[in-house]
Amino acid sequence: MEQPLKPSPDSYEARDFGWLVAMSLLFFGLVAIGFWREYRTEWGPYQHEFPEILGHYGKGEEARKFIPGIKQIWIPQIAVTDRCITCHLGYDWSAILPPSLAQPLTPHPAGDLIAKHPFEKFGCTPCHGGQGWATTVNAAHIGGPGWIDPMLTPALAASQGLTMDQMMQMRCNFCHRHDEATPGMDVINRGKTLLRKRKCILCHSIEGRGGNTGPELTYEGDSNPELYDFSRVAGQKTFFNWNVQHLMHASRITPTTQMPDYNMPIDDARALTLLILSWRRQSFPPEYIPAPSEAAAAMQPTPATTPSANAPEHH
Amino acid sequence: MRERLSKLWRTLAWSWSPASERESSEAIVKNFWLHWFPVKVARASMDFNYSFWLGTASAALLAILTITGVMLMFFYVPSTERAYGSIKDLEYAVSFGRLLRNQHRWAAEGMVAVVFIHMARVFFTGAYRGPRAMNWLVGVALLFATLLLSFTGYLLPWDQLAYWAVTVGTGIARQAPIVGNTLALILLGGNQIGQQTLLRFYVMHVFFLPVFAWILFGYHMWRVRKDGGLAAIEPLRNARTSTPRETPAAKSYSLFGVTVGTSVAVRSSMQLEERDQVAASPNLIRRMMLVFLIVFNATLAAALLFNAPLEGPANPAVTPNPAKAPWYFVWLQELVASTTIHLGPYTVSGALLGGILVPGILLAILAAWPFLDQSPREAEGLWFARNRNRQNLVFAAITGAIIILIFVGVFLRGPYWRLYWPGMPRPAMPTLM
Ligand code: HEC
Ligand code: HEC
Ligand code: HEC
Ligand code: HEC
Ligand code: HEM
Repeated sequence: MEQPLKPSPDSYEARDFGWLVAMSLLFFGLVAIGFWREYRTEWGPYQHEFPEILGHYGKGEEARKFIPGIKQIWIPQIAVTDRCITCHLGYDWSAILPPSLAQPLTPHPAGDLIAKHPFEKFGCTPCHGGQGWATTVNAAHIGGPGWIDPMLTPALAASQGLTMDQMMQMRCNFCHRHDEATPGMDVINRGKTLLRKRKCILCHSIEGRGGNTGPELTYEGDSNPELYDFSRVAGQKTFFNWNVQHLMHASRITPTTQMPDYNMPIDDARALTLLILSWRRQSFPPEYIPAPSEAAAAMQPTPATTPSANAPEHH
Repeated sequence: MRERLSKLWRTLAWSWSPASERESSEAIVKNFWLHWFPVKVARASMDFNYSFWLGTASAALLAILTITGVMLMFFYVPSTERAYGSIKDLEYAVSFGRLLRNQHRWAAEGMVAVVFIHMARVFFTGAYRGPRAMNWLVGVALLFATLLLSFTGYLLPWDQLAYWAVTVGTGIARQAPIVGNTLALILLGGNQIGQQTLLRFYVMHVFFLPVFAWILFGYHMWRVRKDGGLAAIEPLRNARTSTPRETPAAKSYSLFGVTVGTSVAVRSSMQLEERDQVAASPNLIRRMMLVFLIVFNATLAAALLFNAPLEGPANPAVTPNPAKAPWYFVWLQELVASTTIHLGPYTVSGALLGGILVPGILLAILAAWPFLDQSPREAEGLWFARNRNRQNLVFAAITGAIIILIFVGVFLRGPYWRLYWPGMPRPAMPTLM
């Protein structure tokens, strides 16, 4: 004989049902917010605008072929995943789009530099810094908590008394370290000349050569700024500033030092500092390291005739 | 018309309302997924104010972590070169990747907290006495597994936070007497954190520890049933029985049951009457669905509101200042930092005292407590029973101290591990450019 279930007044159904409904509704609400977040991207409006602009400049065919979505330059050899072009969509259209176009759609300043460093081989971050993975403005340009390699912007450069173009030369020298001099890298070239003229190598060993009165400088750009004494440094607490002041008056920053007070002009100190900070551990494969002789040759006033068979045809 | 509408609603909502007790119990027994549930459950155990359903919430978190974790495994690469980038890809390029990662992260940190609070609930209700002592031990192992799962997962993003937190954590392990160096060697797979460590932590995190936790969880649930349900029914039982609560020798295997006890059938039917119980289907099932839904919503909301931390890529050359352990271990780091004593030329290592001895002793007492507890059995299954006041206070005091140390470590410690009170300016650390 089966017992029928007695409906009880204090049944759990009555107690839990309302909660279940409320929680289910909350669940659907949260999922909806999740979708809304996912599809409301920072880059969406730029990608919406870009085909219209292409069409406006007579590239209707390309505009129609444009597929929205995350775009990236992926170069596994140098561990580059640069999604900058998700927003900077006009980067490769300098032949058609005018430079007056507002960022981020402005075409990249073209010319010899990009001819030598095509985007598909170099990406963006090797020259600019910043966080290539990111698809939001702040994360891409500045990084985020603990990101030590922010993009070099005009504002950041100005805070150290430089232009963006000058500050970027520090990054150019990641690869061009062994050039005697490189066209378009005037500040770094000046630094390299000063390094030779002042004979820093008498006291500092750099890449296995030099004295040992002072510390080795081969990878000075990798130093941890927190390990330096900033108590006598005026102004910004940056390693850049520490070096500029140290190079001008070493004894003011490190009183017991044997390094001479060079009393050099601040522009010289900045040039040398950019050079020193460019000395970091790099993992670029050989094809990313330019042959030094070629660059030096390019510096000559008249095109030099190199005996090398595989010298480039262009200078 | 009304009847038609309500019938339509029932059809649409597919609501389950068994017509008889037999239908209800068969729904449990014949269902592969539900057969491990009891057919009937005591009203006292269903009471929200008894268990707060914290164990079920822990189980829900474990389930959420398993599901989101398996999904993360499709994207994560356990290599020192690719790990960080694969997390960045999840954050910026994978559809819903950031949400997935956030939910996994917050569920993990939530689980450490919820499991601990569940344990505190069991302690304050004195629900670990008699045969339930065994389940308390299983619980201690589950707590340990939860902490290890969280800690091994912490390393996987391979960012500065992960790298240095694990450096601090394994540095403490190294201080253990005699076995310290071997322990560190086993944890790290070498003398230093590297690819071997990442792989070790990964294999532990995605295979051995979750499997271990799920098996233990299954056993934990089996024990709950074997011990006759939750201790919430003990006050009822004590009230019903006039004779002392020992069951006749013929029906029990041992008086002080550690591994043995009375059988399921014997205990669960004892002294409980029809009106004390309800059918598990649908009452318990519905309640569990509700708890799962609440926990899922909570983790999803947290995932939508807060991003899981991720700092710059791991850099062995640059130590963050300060380097902190994960928050649930930061109290140990705090102990280590504040118990290093210098006596003239001698130094008493804080890592040994604060990092090994204090937590070791605490863990040992925790595991042994059911066997040391002398309070009367009448206190079982009651919140804050008067005759357990003293031990409840000690437990609360130790928990409070740990929480204070965690608070100090997480919020007040700044550069050079100095104390900075809220509002006190912290020194700006120099940067490169
Ligand atoms: C989410 C879209 C977005 C992404 C991704 C993005 N940018 Fe930008 N970028 C912008 C916008 C918008 C501006 C103009 C406004 C501004 O400066 O914030 C800009 C400006 C710039 C500028 C000029 C800065 C100035 O102050 O004049 C540079 C250089 C730049 N971006 C480089 C990059 C690089 C390199 C990356 C990849 C690491 C990148 N951007 C990724 C949207 C983006
Ligand atoms: C070979 C190095 C190099 C590479 C690679 C490179 N850039 Fe540039 N970029 C420069 C230089 C140099 C400038 C000019 C800076 C100046 O003179 O102000 C520049 C200018 C820009 C500007 C304009 C900034 C301004 O204020 O006018 C943007 C935006 C920009 N680059 C984005 C990109 C993006 C996006 C990529 C990747 C697709 C990229 N760059 C790749 C070197 C490079
Ligand atoms: C990732 C490495 C890398 C970076 C960063 C880089 N370069 Fe280069 N650069 C090269 C290589 C490789 C070549 C040789 C290319 C060739 O000859 O085809 C080269 C060639 C050149 C040349 C031509 C030299 C010649 O012989 O004609 C110039 C000028 C130059 N780079 C300037 C720059 C400047 C300015 C920057 C910074 C804005 C820069 N480079 C950043 C790798 C780099
Ligand atoms: C007479 C020997 C001497 C000469 C010449 C010299 N230095 Fe130094 N340098 C030192 C000593 C000693 C130190 C360490 C004490 C200090 O930090 O001042 C030092 C420190 C430095 C540092 C800081 C390194 C660190 O990580 O602590 C830099 C950078 C540096 N020198 C660059 C240069 C440059 C560039 C030149 C050439 C313009 C130069 N030095 C010439 C002796 C010398
Ligand atoms: C992964 C972690 C854990 C899970 C998933 C889990 C799950 C559960 C569940 C579902 C219950 C049923 C009652 C309730 O919901 O409160 C329970 C009861 C119990 N748990 Fe846990 N638990 C975990 C950790 C622990 C820990 C750390 C302890 C103690 C050290 C513990 C000791 C107990 C005991 C003794 C009971 C029986 C309580 C009673 O009879 O009232 N468990 N557990």
